Amino acid sequence: MHTTHKMLFIKLNQAASREWLPENIFPPGLQLKTLSSWKERREFYDTFEWQAFEKGFVIVKKKKKLFLADLNSGHETFSLSLPGNPSSFFSDTLPSGDLKNALSSCTEIRAFIKLCSIDVIIHSYRILDDNEKTIATLTSESLYLADKEQPEPFIHLFSLLPFKGYEDEMKLIQKALSDDVGTVLDFRELFLLIMNAAGRNIHDYSSKIRLDLDADAPIYESARQLLQFTFSIMRANESGIKKNIDSEFLHDYRVAIRRTRSILKQLKGVFDSEETAYYLNLFRDLGKRTNELRDMDVYLLKQATYFHYLPSTLQPSLKLFFTDIAASRRRLHKQFCSYLESTAYQSFLEEWDAFANRLSIPDPERSPNATLFTKSIGVESIKKAWKKVVRHGRQISRETTDTELHALRIDCKKLRYLLEFFSSIFPQKTTLPVIRQLKELQDNLGDFVDFSVQHHFLQERLLSIPPGKEQNVLAASIGGLMATLFQKQEETRSKFHKTFRSFDHEETSQLFHDLLSTPK
Amino acid sequence: MKTIALYSIKGGVGKTATAVNLSYLSSLFSPPTLICDLDPQGASSFYFRITASKKYNSDKFLKGNKKIYRNIKATDFENLDLLPSDISYRNLDIELAEEKKPLKKLKKNLEELGEEYRYVFFDCAPNLTLLSESIFAAADVIMVPLIPTTLSIRTYIQLTDFFKDNKLDSSKIRPFFTMVEKQKKMHRDIIEEFRNAPDFFTQTIPYNSEVEKMGIYRAPLNAVLPGSLASKAYKNLWEELRSHLEKSR
Repeated sequence: MHTTHKMLFIKLNQAASREWLPENIFPPGLQLKTLSSWKERREFYDTFEWQAFEKGFVIVKKKKKLFLADLNSGHETFSLSLPGNPSSFFSDTLPSGDLKNALSSCTEIRAFIKLCSIDVIIHSYRILDDNEKTIATLTSESLYLADKEQPEPFIHLFSLLPFKGYEDEMKLIQKALSDDVGTVLDFRELFLLIMNAAGRNIHDYSSKIRLDLDADAPIYESARQLLQFTFSIMRANESGIKKNIDSEFLHDYRVAIRRTRSILKQLKGVFDSEETAYYLNLFRDLGKRTNELRDMDVYLLKQATYFHYLPSTLQPSLKLFFTDIAASRRRLHKQFCSYLESTAYQSFLEEWDAFANRLSIPDPERSPNATLFTKSIGVESIKKAWKKVVRHGRQISRETTDTELHALRIDCKKLRYLLEFFSSIFPQKTTLPVIRQLKELQDNLGDFVDFSVQHHFLQERLLSIPPGKEQNVLAASIGGLMATLFQKQEETRSKFHKTFRSFDHEETSQLFHDLLSTPK
Repeated sequence: MKTIALYSIKGGVGKTATAVNLSYLSSLFSPPTLICDLDPQGASSFYFRITASKKYNSDKFLKGNKKIYRNIKATDFENLDLLPSDISYRNLDIELAEEKKPLKKLKKNLEELGEEYRYVFFDCAPNLTLLSESIFAAADVIMVPLIPTTLSIRTYIQLTDFFKDNKLDSSKIRPFFTMVEKQKKMHRDIIEEFRNAPDFFTQTIPYNSEVEKMGIYRAPLNAVLPGSLASKAYKNLWEELRSHLEKSR
């Protein structure tokens, strides 16, 4: 057999017993030959955001090997041996090869997490024609959720792998099986069924705002929907932060905090100002608790790049630098996790939950804009934020100071958040071009600020190095990094005016006008 | 894609057994492989227990690529597929003669298979016809099994003469001895005579009753009895063929 055909799965009706064999309903001339029986454990992996599934991959570990299957055909394309029983792993820890490349193409920063373990009892057969030629292989499989005390199979199925050139016979077999004993599934459907049985929902998480706001609803309702969404993102990421799975959990958690603050701060007059100030304060403090931890994450993610910046003579001492970073990260992580477990945090959650889900209309005296249309607030706030970016951008001097760029970056972020909050009340074709234009400017400013922050961090580190021979080399490598980062920072600085000019352009302005004139 | 024809004017020389075992070995060591049964008697199809679909016939074969592709069947062995023969192939010659460029037809018809298969073996009918000529044009190597007898050697000389007369590329022809019985003096003498002939494969295939039993097992000997003397000889022959093909790349 050479070309692998699409595998076919038949989910057996309850009436069909697990020992039952389809031989008696086969078209005449066909017979079954028993091969073997065995039990195997299959462990499925994907990232928190289902990035492999998104790319059409299913990652499964069985018999100490990791396989990559095609979601549509079920065909196992690549495999590699993976000893142990990791609860999660990163693509860059795998040995080089096609499987690693495929997983890296999904993500390099997110971990692949074990989704579930399934035990399968398998009986395998060959289907022979009247020449005793194999025309397909058939396996009868009973699937159990592993680690259950009293295991009951959640599905019995036949999987049929037709051999090339026997399509006509296969149609007859398939018809006989699906008429009498069950329903035909493809691999994708089977995968969804397994995930469902294991209590996993595909695409149950995305940090992107996927709300469908009502443009004519009062703004306080829409704002609450947004707050509930950002709150759900925070909650969804807590467990991954505590389990220390990958850095994206904390990152998404922080973005949710920033978005929450942005909603409270930018939608003026929608909520009670006193309450708003109170919660803004709490969220600012919560954000602060994570700043240093996130910084450490960023440096650790940049590890390879940093080594790359330095000549090989200076690289060894950089290891020391990263050992320190990793140690600080461990300490900060522990600290933040114990805060997440604290009663203070728990009561904050409860309080905030009650606020975000409060149903009553805010007091019109204390929140005068609460009942305005979502679309009018959306349009007004975006317009204001956009004008502010343009105004501040134009004021930036030829020297393009750090302070100026830092401030403009924040203005851009505010605008970006508003565009994301209200994107559902505008036609997609008007929001996307605007966001694309803004993104270019944000990328320039983001790079600039990142380089600047890293530069400062390294400088502080440099000043804290005690004298000594080993420390001298460390100081030299940090100096080397600073020089490189400085250069990169200056490059982005020199590109700023050009990037801004292309944003502050008639075309962009037309795009904003188009957007703001078309709420649904 | 490399194409290897197993060809002999004379029947009963171990042509099909060689095609079946070499294609099986090729599927193990240089997958994937296709074996095309071009003999209307369908012996290699029989060895793999494959019969052509009722809809398949010489017309489809002449239409080429997609029509051929649809009729390829998987053998019971991984990475080895077979294009079965059909009794209608007995008319291929007449039909081929009606084509515009009959000699280039086969090569053209199999072009697309190159995307799928690394090696393609032709098991040819024992005759010298227009179809054979088309195969000669399409094949990279023409392996000619010879029983070490004077009669067999004569057919080989006929073949090389035919190539000369028709200005064909005779460097493709690579004979080798089959059904060798060391106890027979004539076999020993003839093999000795051709020992240093440059175009001959050095490996010979012994006469072995296990080879004849392939009709009972209906599977390649190398799959059923890889340790047998003949299996080992096929294995060595395959190595020789492979290195020859790699050199000629």
